[in-house]
Amino acid sequence: MCGIIGYVQTSGEQVSATAAASDGGVTQSTGEIVHKGLRNLEYRGYDSVGVALVGESDGLTVAKQSGAVDGLVVPDVPDATHGIGHTRWSTHGPPTDENAHPHTDCVGDVAVVHNGIVENYKELKEELADHEFTSDTDTEVIPHLIEEELAGDGDVDLLDAVRNVEDRLEGSYAICAVREDDDRIIVARRGSPLVLGRGENAVFVGSDVTAFLEHTRDVTYLEDGDVASLSPDGVEIFASGEPVEREIDTVTWEADAAEKGGYEHYMRKEIHEQPEALRQTITGRLDVDAGNVDLDVSFPPGFLADVEEIRIVACGTSYYAGRYAAQLFEELSGVRATVEIASEYEFGAGRTPDRTLVVAVTQSGETADTLGAVRRANDAGARTFAVTNTLGSTVTREVDGTAFIRAGPEIGVAATKTFASQVATLAMLAVAVGRDRGALAAADARGVLEDLQGLPGAVQQVLDAEDQVKEAAKEYQDSEAFFFVGRALGVPVALEGALKLKEISYDHAEGFAAGELKHGPLALVTPETPVLAVLTDGARANETMNNVTEAQTRGAPALGCVSGDAEYDTLDVDFPVPDVGIVEPLVANVYLQLFAYHVANEKGRPIDKPRNLAKSVTVE
Amino acid sequence: MSEEPITAVILAAGEGRRLEPLTNRRPKPMIPVANRPLLEYVVEAVADAGLDHITLVVGYRHERIRNHFGDGGDWGVTIEYAEQSTQLGTGHAVLQAEPTIDGPFVVLNGDRVVDPVLVERVADAARQHTDPTMAITTSETPRDYGVVAFDGDRVTGIDEKPEGPVETNRINAGVYGFSPGIFDAIRSTHANGELALTETLDELAGENGGVNGIMYTGRWLDVSNLWDLLTVNAGMIDTEAVTHADRSDDASVHIADDVVLADSVRVGPTVTIGGNTAVGRNVTIEANAVVENSIIFPDAVIGAGAVVRDAVVASNAQIGPNVTIEGTPSTMVVGDTVHHGIELGGVVGDNTTIGPGATLTTGAVVGDDVDTDAGVTIDSRVAAGETVRRG
Repeated sequence: MCGIIGYVQTSGEQVSATAAASDGGVTQSTGEIVHKGLRNLEYRGYDSVGVALVGESDGLTVAKQSGAVDGLVVPDVPDATHGIGHTRWSTHGPPTDENAHPHTDCVGDVAVVHNGIVENYKELKEELADHEFTSDTDTEVIPHLIEEELAGDGDVDLLDAVRNVEDRLEGSYAICAVREDDDRIIVARRGSPLVLGRGENAVFVGSDVTAFLEHTRDVTYLEDGDVASLSPDGVEIFASGEPVEREIDTVTWEADAAEKGGYEHYMRKEIHEQPEALRQTITGRLDVDAGNVDLDVSFPPGFLADVEEIRIVACGTSYYAGRYAAQLFEELSGVRATVEIASEYEFGAGRTPDRTLVVAVTQSGETADTLGAVRRANDAGARTFAVTNTLGSTVTREVDGTAFIRAGPEIGVAATKTFASQVATLAMLAVAVGRDRGALAAADARGVLEDLQGLPGAVQQVLDAEDQVKEAAKEYQDSEAFFFVGRALGVPVALEGALKLKEISYDHAEGFAAGELKHGPLALVTPETPVLAVLTDGARANETMNNVTEAQTRGAPALGCVSGDAEYDTLDVDFPVPDVGIVEPLVANVYLQLFAYHVANEKGRPIDKPRNLAKSVTVE
Repeated sequence: MSEEPITAVILAAGEGRRLEPLTNRRPKPMIPVANRPLLEYVVEAVADAGLDHITLVVGYRHERIRNHFGDGGDWGVTIEYAEQSTQLGTGHAVLQAEPTIDGPFVVLNGDRVVDPVLVERVADAARQHTDPTMAITTSETPRDYGVVAFDGDRVTGIDEKPEGPVETNRINAGVYGFSPGIFDAIRSTHANGELALTETLDELAGENGGVNGIMYTGRWLDVSNLWDLLTVNAGMIDTEAVTHADRSDDASVHIADDVVLADSVRVGPTVTIGGNTAVGRNVTIEANAVVENSIIFPDAVIGAGAVVRDAVVASNAQIGPNVTIEGTPSTMVVGDTVHHGIELGGVVGDNTTIGPGATLTTGAVVGDDVDTDAGVTIDSRVAAGETVRRG
């Protein structure tokens, strides 16, 4: 799991600049631009970092080390015209200076950065016995293979060499290569994401668009098997050796939306962005009066009516969004709905492929486990659908249909606003499916859509009460453990609340279905283990409160997210949740996000980059 | 023009209590007029004046400001934030920006809208003089502001909100040009409790270098009271380029030309939206409703058949069906001051629910989180969080 950036100054105009905010990428030095791109990508991994810059006077200059992006001193290469950079999250070999990318050939003429895995690197390394290797990485075989190609025949240039080497690699990868005395970056993509940015006076390549979004919004997503040459004359793309044209898309995200904007952490910024993210999610999609949803989803006529099962596949926070959605599908769409952890998913016996809809939920659209599940579903012949935040991501090309959650870029490793937007999107999908199947009356649909419309305002009210959450976090931060409970729609929220807290504060936190408390976990409850409960509409609050009382009897402090009209006098802390029906548990979740944030912040944790975790997990 | 970069320090830390209940959940600079916060117009004036570095001094409810402005990229400027955690006066606020300043700079108020040309003139003055520069404008109600004694070149004194009669209508426009020397001057100002910038300037006016004055007669919009919002809103709708996104294609809907509609506004059949109205994002206006000369904040719902005139409806408020908000010129008391002939139908705070058929009249100001029964009549202030029962 790594981040790649590449930058080439170009001589002429590449594409008509539709983006007024573009500075074309020429106001800073090559080193600065590459370094900044790496900072933008830091969420993809941050245990090692490196750059390679190419200029006329100094040739190829490489600097790399273990540690965070900011710690790297980028070498001063005044006439550098192009460069590549890499931020790494270790898969092969520990984070050391040697294992950091870029990797070079024996003489230091070629430098390569790589994201993914070269599965046959051992065999290739054996072939290269006379080459000098300096790292434990799979990547290092690539520059040495390129060196071999270049040495073999005088007519072979860097583009030919990368193409030839690519044929020999097994696994998944995105590669960028530079060579001394060559004014190009050659890139190749198979399995790992790679996107080109096409500015007025520069071209870029990145693992995703946030790498270079401040320079250009005109982008081209490379497809699997593509090799591209980025030179001062522009971009040339090849597929199977033949030049091809790929579409230029315009990214509508605001470039600065990916920046921290004065907040101390991306996570808190993203928590506070939720009302706006949710407005984006629902904009133009709700026809409240008619009780309809326009998700721009097209299935073959009659398909939804005949669907026997919706199976949701996802990981982590997206899995909990799926758990929330499965209940909505059963309630609103009148269809059996199950949720499977993507890495555990198999199509399974007793199911009819053409009557099964598999819905993949993945923020990045690149989650390897989820992609694997989609492929297994496709192989079985099921219809597949993706709910994702990322246009052009791999999952969108592998499924039959996609709904975008439109939450905008999320940088904090702990997902916050994307959870809210995922659930809102899935709720709209549940209404659409229910209406299509005739399982949901217009009047009932209208109620749900009004609740969805009230969601941004309700979340804002929770944010306005942040000081109250902060106080509670201060009071209970030193507890031994934290238990989160709920019923029905409160269960996925309890699980997500516990996940948030453990991810960023490293405290022991567990979520349960409230009814399960007495079947075991109650043995863990002491006066030092606060219980946080979802006590809202859609979460069977009264029954849950009985379980909370059981815990209180054992001395545990109790904190509850409570519907506005209900009162539970015995709670130690109660957080009021505005009246928005079946999305109330989703609003309650915002309190739990803030609680996790403030506990972690009081403890001085590196909230945006929890230890051992990376934002989008592209390894299985 | 010299190329020395000038930073703009914008003061946006205050709460703005006079605009309660709208400021219970957002700082005054974030109150929207013509669908954009007041502060955005200030930031734009600074950007249009060619200044590309801004320090926002924030405090009360600063998340709202950070969320909206981020790092300033949308406005082509770089924004840094300085936090004033307790509001101890404008001088103290300026001191919070000190770490971000290394040369001449200008200071503006985040809730007063001025033209870019004034920012340019003050920035030029800051480049030329080490002595402070103050912009001066005129007001029909000078006693509400700092009254300035001015000899055509130098400011000779500032009298903050004087009690007695005044000889001039010249007032402090709240836009200043400074060199970093001002920080020590603020620190050495003798003040009781709060550090007011004007006190420092009043002291400096009596000293050697003095204070330069710049006369300014352009746009200077100040929102002192709730009813000023409607005037400023109308003015902004008039002068700002207006795009009508998402206009209804329903022929039964009538929307006047001087209306600003955000995208994603839902408008039911036979709705009429009259002039000088701004409607924010994710707002719903249900069938048969009439909205005129009003500001509707994001996420609010105007119920079927409601009539909303001369009103401010804050975020996520639910105006029930057949509610009437309509004013006749009335008398309002804010603090100790009595204001006559105010044209304000009513103000509804954030997240407040007005029950079906209720009537708000003669400047009713309903706080946030209020819940009212159906059919009640409200003609005065209702505090935040209350429940209004019929009877």
